[in-house]
Amino acid sequence: MSNDILFLAEFSGGKPARSALELATGAAELASQSGGAAVALAYGSGAAAGAAALGAHGATRAIVLGDEDRPAITYAPAAVAASRDAGLAVLAPATPNGRDLAAALVGTLDLPAFGPVRAARVVEGTLETEQATLQGRVITTARPADGAPTPSIVLVLANTFAPAEGGSGSAEVSEAPAAAESALARASVAESHEADAKVVNLEEASIIVAGGRGVGSEEGFGPLRDLASALGGAVGASRAAADAGWIPYQLQIGQTGKVVKPALYIGAGVSGAIQHRVGMQTAEHVIAINKDPDAPIGEFADLFVVGDLFQIIPALTDEIRRRKGS
Amino acid sequence: MKIVVCIKQVPATGADKRYTDDLRLDRNGVEAIINPLDEYAIEQALRLADDGSADGVTYLSMGPEQASEALRRALAMGGDDAVLITDPALAGADEWATARVLAAALDKLAPDVALMGMASDDARGSLVPGAVAAMRDVPLLSYGAELAVADGTARVRRLSATGYDWISAPLPVVATVTDQVGEPRYASLKGIMAAKRKPMETWSLADLGLSAADLRGAALTTVTDTRPPEEKPPTERIENLPAAEAAAEIADWLAQRKLI
Repeated sequence: MSNDILFLAEFSGGKPARSALELATGAAELASQSGGAAVALAYGSGAAAGAAALGAHGATRAIVLGDEDRPAITYAPAAVAASRDAGLAVLAPATPNGRDLAAALVGTLDLPAFGPVRAARVVEGTLETEQATLQGRVITTARPADGAPTPSIVLVLANTFAPAEGGSGSAEVSEAPAAAESALARASVAESHEADAKVVNLEEASIIVAGGRGVGSEEGFGPLRDLASALGGAVGASRAAADAGWIPYQLQIGQTGKVVKPALYIGAGVSGAIQHRVGMQTAEHVIAINKDPDAPIGEFADLFVVGDLFQIIPALTDEIRRRKGS
Repeated sequence: MKIVVCIKQVPATGADKRYTDDLRLDRNGVEAIINPLDEYAIEQALRLADDGSADGVTYLSMGPEQASEALRRALAMGGDDAVLITDPALAGADEWATARVLAAALDKLAPDVALMGMASDDARGSLVPGAVAAMRDVPLLSYGAELAVADGTARVRRLSATGYDWISAPLPVVATVTDQVGEPRYASLKGIMAAKRKPMETWSLADLGLSAADLRGAALTTVTDTRPPEEKPPTERIENLPAAEAAAEIADWLAQRKLI
């Protein structure tokens, strides 16, 4: 067993996902504690050409699992071959694709699983993780059991690690070792449909302006979009707003939507139900704007603005544009 | 086409939850419910039974004996029979151990589709379905907003970054569905009465051909500490201000934190 720290590096449309850059830096941080190397498991379209550039964010080596846009789970056999006896931990993004591949590793290689974690480190050669449990009321620290097989599989929330920028390193790229036959490779895309509106990947946004039931309509999201654009952020929504059809489900935050960890979350007309809270409770700063002074979001927001979002949000957008001088 | 829906009994959402001295979830005196996201899996299975795609729906749960209540509640919504896996050696099972046990039970039940909710309320790894698929060496179709089965093939409609895809795989499969499949039905009084007569079996680890040693103490992970989250400063409030003044205060607040 080596002390290397592996990480899943997803590519699509020729580019690495932000999670790949974050995990490259996170893996490098853990590898410096364990005395090993940060190794990317790169997959998806663009992985072959883009893997070496992960070196700029901390990866020492990169193993290319494949370079096509196909269901992430079909990369499981290659991920298994590359992970077998391959290091201390494999970091995976806490996204649907990341979870699918992480689960395949756990099930195929009988490995301990952690997460989604909000912090990870290596202490005297042992992995240690921190997770918010019981809806954020408890922080749990966990380690592999004595004698547990390696590598440990660690689901990592977005924005847990900030990608190192400005590096010029290049990762040494290699092909994945031969994979065993697996039924997991038999899933395929039968049909593909584009959404009506272009949607951003919320997990990658560092500022999110989310709208809830209080936004009232599809048009009601207009002022939220303006604010998000003034702040350089993205628009999200609660389940109520997505169910109402005001915004695509890709932008839903919460238990059954995206789990986000932005530097700033602004909830407008969001009541703060527990199902929404579990999707954003690890945001660094939370601002709530709500007409109802007793909305549950007021209990955990850092700043609670009581008032009409349709007056306050445009005023805030103007104020921010004015201060930014644009 | 036979479906086994895996369900988990969890403490009610919003219940006062805590850990015991040995760092396990304290289930004493806490109201228990079917994991809310599993109800969507039940609903999806029953819809496939209603439209004739499925000709058998079995529920499978692993948990303490009281988890039989969750299975009865599922049977009251519909379906045919249920299996509870309960064994003292399973206390504190982690995701790997849970997957190991469910995979062994599914080997025995041999469904065409093993259907699960996308996540559980009380642990948020969502790794059990994929681990079960890997252990049984069957395809995984995950995060379906809808599941369809026809001609020996299962398909899920899954959100993509830019829209949605239909992902397909040959049966048998493990599939998971989201809350977009549609609202779970209520159990009718007739359903509740009928559920009492539906068959329910209880299996131990030995019935699955597994031993406590196979499960390595039920966990490959160990919790070393629990503590309350960092104290946050109390919520600051801005009230009763004209919009422009409120906006200026918010902007000051953001600027102090270098967010603008």
